[in-house]
Amino acid sequence: MITLFAFLILFYSQGNILQVKNQWLRPGAKGMGTALYFEVENPTDKPDTLYKITSDISSMIQLHETYAKDELMGMREVGEFVIEPESSLELKPGGYHIMVMKLKRDIKKSDEIEFKLHFKNAGSIIIRAKVK
Amino acid sequence: MKLFIYSITVSAVLILIGCQSEFPLNKDLTKQNYNFFNQDSVEISFPGINLGRITVIGFIYTHCPDICPMTTHNMFLTDQRLNKDGIENVNFVLLTFDPDRDYPSMLKKFAQIRDIEFDNWSLLWNTKQNTNPLLKRLDILAIPTDSSYTDNGELNYYVMHTDRISLIDQKGHLRKNYMGSTVNLDELYNDIKTLGKY
Repeated sequence: MITLFAFLILFYSQGNILQVKNQWLRPGAKGMGTALYFEVENPTDKPDTLYKITSDISSMIQLHETYAKDELMGMREVGEFVIEPESSLELKPGGYHIMVMKLKRDIKKSDEIEFKLHFKNAGSIIIRAKVK
Repeated sequence: MKLFIYSITVSAVLILIGCQSEFPLNKDLTKQNYNFFNQDSVEISFPGINLGRITVIGFIYTHCPDICPMTTHNMFLTDQRLNKDGIENVNFVLLTFDPDRDYPSMLKKFAQIRDIEFDNWSLLWNTKQNTNPLLKRLDILAIPTDSSYTDNGELNYYVMHTDRISLIDQKGHLRKNYMGSTVNLDELYNDIKTLGKY
């Protein structure tokens, strides 16, 4: 009975917490930059906010968006990403992305890099993103 | 007779439209040679060195994390597909529009980390003064935007730029432009095949 109860609690909590999935990033050479992409699912009934990302790979990591103006493409820093209740936010090429600048070492295809995502409600979530 | 003339006219117009839609440009780039340094710091002239071969050229800066890697990757995929199909005689060129930060050695690293081989790839650099005339000729804009300083006091800035891959024929004529980051790879591949009569 206790086991069943624990299982139900575990099952319920897993379905009702912020989830980060499909994370990946591009190769990058030491001193240069790259972009990290992922999807955040928020099954809860409250919004959450991603406001910071940290990693040993770089001390300069910013939340960015790519935008088009006339026929030009640019990018700019955005302060935070809000994930609305019962919705998801996708960071993808040509849109929202995490800019990882001044890489401390080369990152090559198939490497896995650890990042810590800081959310206002969910706290910190650690992910490992594959380079491809 | 009227019907015959009408048919001929319509056919001619359709052929003309057909040709134009395939390769809408025919801009001669050989009227001026532009000097650059490649990833090994060897001086080359453009488009001179590529004459006789089809050239796919993209425009990048290495501090760009999103759009320029997409452009580079699209060119890389096209090169891989051409190799797989045994199609040679196609050069791939990446030209930096941020020469104050992208030196040849950095361009080389940018390529190597992406498994680019230099048999048929060149990454070109020269000073702004020498790069800008070619950018202007190809209608490429690159405008520095938000800037900041790193903890080490280094200037960091982004560049708003034209998102472009261009196709240049064997005679050094610009024939078609594509959105670099979102190019239809089939279209680019088929245009190369058409241009090279492969």
